[in-house]
Amino acid sequence: MGEVMTAQGRSLPAEDTADLREIGFRSLDFSELALRVEDELGDELNFDAPGLRRIATVGDVLDFIEQLQSA
Amino acid sequence: MSEAPRSEAPSAVPPASVVLVSGGSRGLGLAIVTDLLAAGLKVAAFARTVTPELTALGEKYPDHLHYGSVDVNDSAAGQAFVRDVENALGPIDALVNNAAIGQDSLHVHTSAEHLAEIIQTNLTSPLILTRFVLRRMLAKGLKGRIVNITSICAQRGYPGLVAYSATKGGMDAATRSLARELGGRILANAVAPGFFASEMSAVLGQTQLDQIVRRTPTGHLTEPEDVLPVVRMLLLENTNLNGQVLVIDGAASI
Repeated sequence: MGEVMTAQGRSLPAEDTADLREIGFRSLDFSELALRVEDELGDELNFDAPGLRRIATVGDVLDFIEQLQSA
Repeated sequence: MSEAPRSEAPSAVPPASVVLVSGGSRGLGLAIVTDLLAAGLKVAAFARTVTPELTALGEKYPDHLHYGSVDVNDSAAGQAFVRDVENALGPIDALVNNAAIGQDSLHVHTSAEHLAEIIQTNLTSPLILTRFVLRRMLAKGLKGRIVNITSICAQRGYPGLVAYSATKGGMDAATRSLARELGGRILANAVAPGFFASEMSAVLGQTQLDQIVRRTPTGHLTEPEDVLPVVRMLLLENTNLNGQVLVIDGAASI
């Protein structure tokens, strides 16, 4: 997540509670993150949009990615 | 997840540098490939059949053109071609969805199998190719551009082109949703040419084409040369055009 934000000239806040709206992390940024994880896993991570709508904080993103990886 | 606007304006999408053109071996596709190479871009082109004209371009631009024989309906081959292109030319940052098959049959006389083939080639396969190229772009953190070649048939009715029109309308609609979904990071537009003089068919015959010419304020049917500057603009210029369908038909349809 930090790499995605750094590539856009921003930085990842240290707090898991940081609001994604406030730090400008949008759904497309999440897609980029998921695709980077896919590259590492060598497997596709497909998911529906409603799952994304529940994500509001940095911690939510990390939890969601973890769930996808373990699914 | 929210789609709240960024606090700062997103930076512009840079001009395309490596463009993938489907159906680039003849007709408008070949003309687009030729034009982009002349403009100094790196171009990758595939088609079911590699023509002598495309081979000649490959000899003229050995470092800037990568081409091969790929059926757009063979997604595995298409994806392998994309990876080959990345190795040969660098990451793809623009896609021109041009490959399509025509139709020349009244709906009631078109077999279900042929309907499915038209939809597969003109709608499903381009969407699958777009998905794959977008995934590569996003994974590499790239911005980029998509140009879908559609048709005036998506907006006006013509006999003998029911399924073809449906697929082109589908691509126009997909263009708009892509523009929304990609949040300005990748610009998605469509170019919808009017009828080419070369498109005379049994259903849309010389009489109908003559009628279209008479009703066209510019007085002539569309030529590939009319389309090229528009495609080039969408790939290279910073215009803020996004999610649009640009009709190139001399105002025949308005």
